[in-house]
Amino acid sequence: MVSLGYLWNELRRRSGRTIVTALGLALGVGLVVGIIGVSEGLSASQSKALSPLSTVGTDIVVTRTVAPTSGSSSNCSAGSSNLLSEGAQFFGGSAGKALGSLNTCEDAALLSSNSTVLTDLSKLGPPGTQFTHDFFLPGTLIPFPQQALKVVDGVNGVKAAAPALSDQAEHETGTVPTITATVQTPAQTIQTLQNVPPLTPAEGSQIISCLFSNPNFSSALANRGSAGGIPGGGATSFTSLLQKCLPASYQQFVSSVVVPAVTINQVVNPPSTDINTNSYTVAGIDPSQPNLGLITKAQVVKGQWFGSHPADQLLVSTAYASSKSIKVGQQMPINGTNFTVVGLVSPTVSGDASDLYFDLPSLQSLASSSGQVNEVLVEVDNSSQVGTVVKRIQKLLPGAQVLANDSLDNTVTGSLANAHTIATDFGGVMALIILLAAFIIAALLTLSSISKRVREIGTLRAIGWSRGRVVRQIVAETTGIGVLGAGLGLAVGAIVCVAIGAFGPSLSAVSSSNTLGASTASALFHETTRNSAKLAIPLTAPIHPSTLLLGVVFAVVGGLLAGLAGGWRAARLSPASALADLG
Amino acid sequence: MTGAMDTNGSADSAAALYELRNVERRYQRGGTTVLAVHDLNLEIDVGEFLSIQGPSGSGKTTLLQLLGALDAPTAGSITFDGSELARLGDHDLTDIRARHVGFVFQQFNLIPTLTAEENVAIAMVPLKVKSDARHGRARELLEQVGLGARTEHLPSRLSGGEQQRVAIARALANHPRVLLADEPTGNLDTQNAAEIMALLAGLQADTGVTVVVATHDPEVARQSHRRVVMRDGAILEDSAVAP
Repeated sequence: MVSLGYLWNELRRRSGRTIVTALGLALGVGLVVGIIGVSEGLSASQSKALSPLSTVGTDIVVTRTVAPTSGSSSNCSAGSSNLLSEGAQFFGGSAGKALGSLNTCEDAALLSSNSTVLTDLSKLGPPGTQFTHDFFLPGTLIPFPQQALKVVDGVNGVKAAAPALSDQAEHETGTVPTITATVQTPAQTIQTLQNVPPLTPAEGSQIISCLFSNPNFSSALANRGSAGGIPGGGATSFTSLLQKCLPASYQQFVSSVVVPAVTINQVVNPPSTDINTNSYTVAGIDPSQPNLGLITKAQVVKGQWFGSHPADQLLVSTAYASSKSIKVGQQMPINGTNFTVVGLVSPTVSGDASDLYFDLPSLQSLASSSGQVNEVLVEVDNSSQVGTVVKRIQKLLPGAQVLANDSLDNTVTGSLANAHTIATDFGGVMALIILLAAFIIAALLTLSSISKRVREIGTLRAIGWSRGRVVRQIVAETTGIGVLGAGLGLAVGAIVCVAIGAFGPSLSAVSSSNTLGASTASALFHETTRNSAKLAIPLTAPIHPSTLLLGVVFAVVGGLLAGLAGGWRAARLSPASALADLG
Repeated sequence: MTGAMDTNGSADSAAALYELRNVERRYQRGGTTVLAVHDLNLEIDVGEFLSIQGPSGSGKTTLLQLLGALDAPTAGSITFDGSELARLGDHDLTDIRARHVGFVFQQFNLIPTLTAEENVAIAMVPLKVKSDARHGRARELLEQVGLGARTEHLPSRLSGGEQQRVAIARALANHPRVLLADEPTGNLDTQNAAEIMALLAGLQADTGVTVVVATHDPEVARQSHRRVVMRDGAILEDSAVAP
């Protein structure tokens, strides 16, 4: 069929052409393998970002979140502190009222739940003493009574429901500042003018009768002209007699002086202190539900799940543990309690990823949120019923945000989502274009090579080679080049994929879930009250046998087609015409 | 075709190997018709040593290609060993070229990536000769043309005369009935040209193969036994060469 010696010598002794053509194909195949690898790597990374929340069974997340302010509502009777009656009212509104605005009730709930931020630092100790304290704020995830869990659990179609309290923590260390304010008001002189009414006749008579009834009055009157010479002060005696006989209204004046109310505004300078603040995120979960919650037992990558006494145990995310050099078994004192790190976990960015995971009651105690949670994670009986169950929960809890798992995917943003979108949208097209370009280059090189061999082909025809034999020989050559290109391409692709895995960038996946209304909260607290969960996932480009096979098939088929086209083009010439070719 | 020839071979052994009747070949080139050969009437017998002499453009190469079934006449008929070539398909014509015709070109036309031995052996591929037999036969032929020591050399490492010897060996590979040589000495110096012509003459004498040599050189033509002179596509003279 084919002269293998001729084939081998053609490939070997026209090595320049062979290598250039093979490299053209190799480049195409390598890039295609690389692009497919990156695309699969991005898919895997996105799965990793969403997993295992989406795989361990969390189908629905129930929260109470704020929405943009558009007005106010007066009914705050069923605030977060109120307990469940019909299952609706602790979500900030009366039953049947959708949570469409951040009303005064929710304002109050937000302020109340974040009141720790207003803590007077002077309560931490006398001024000048060192303090270390962790503050816990729910941010925009407004807590609600834990009894909501029972309501959700009772919804038809719900298989299980797990509570969670997800907080923003501020770890503060420093010196208790001296907080004083000196208010100085200016000196005031108050003058009052009193008009004394004239004596009435009765008062005159009373004075005269009083004077004359006094036995000393005659002598006092006689000596009034030489008052200074009388021992004992005769004039004084007369004056004193007169004083005694004056009516009571002349002896004491009663007057009211009203000073206008004054508001004193004094700027109090912030206390000068050396407080350092570190933010981190925490979550309280139910250790008795190891397969459902913000973190699950399956996500423990080192150490173990909560033990039988979870109150003073905690789990730490691998990222936080890495950044803070936290190890399993380490003690972490928080507000006077020594917690033991029992395990490291790899949380998902979808939903809420926290740095530390506590036993729910422990965090409730730390955050002064006894009996409060701010998330309920739901697993449904049948995944096809998610939408129905969402509607049932929304009906029972009209103030709640009920988020189905499939929409959690949309909450993942960041470079991972962008890169995956790019890879999904353009990866296939790009791979196709590159492959097509590689084929065209390889085909042109092959055709160019064959066109230079027309006389050779004419000679073969002259010495008795049939047209088919000539075409087969050329196709075998170009297919051989294709195989070589495939081999080189796979090597190039493998190197690209390995290099991406070793030196490639990390993709950030950011979950904005449950941060709806963050701008409103920011407006309230003049700061971002809650960070979005962020996870850095290293980009990998896995190589699958199917990808390699695809590359080989493309390269070999490419070589085969190029050989067929070029060979047939040359062999269809009459031998005489081929021999007359000057090339 | 082969069977027909085998059947008729012994009966027509005394008949002409080639019979050309009113052969004409026209080409369309750049919108004009070129009459390459016309009114050719020629018979070539088995074992003849014939030269076709003429200047460039006289039609001798066209005639050689028509004889070698590389081209077909636009008019007239060519009979090879009793079979009219015009009636044969591409498969049979290819078979004739493989089995019965050996070509030698002015430019040698060796495959540049193959050694001398491989260049000879490749001519036996269409006949499905086994590799060992091919190479054995190739070495034998190269020995016969005086290149026994250069079997592994690539054409680029051989002189013009050596390359033409390899081409002659290749042409003889399948024991052809006719050797068609188109200006076989055109690219050679006088000494090499003489050696090649001596080699062809010797082969013709030793094996009885019919040899047809196209040449512009009267000296080369003089070494043949019969000379056909061509001018402007027509036969001007057909005469025996005096020994």
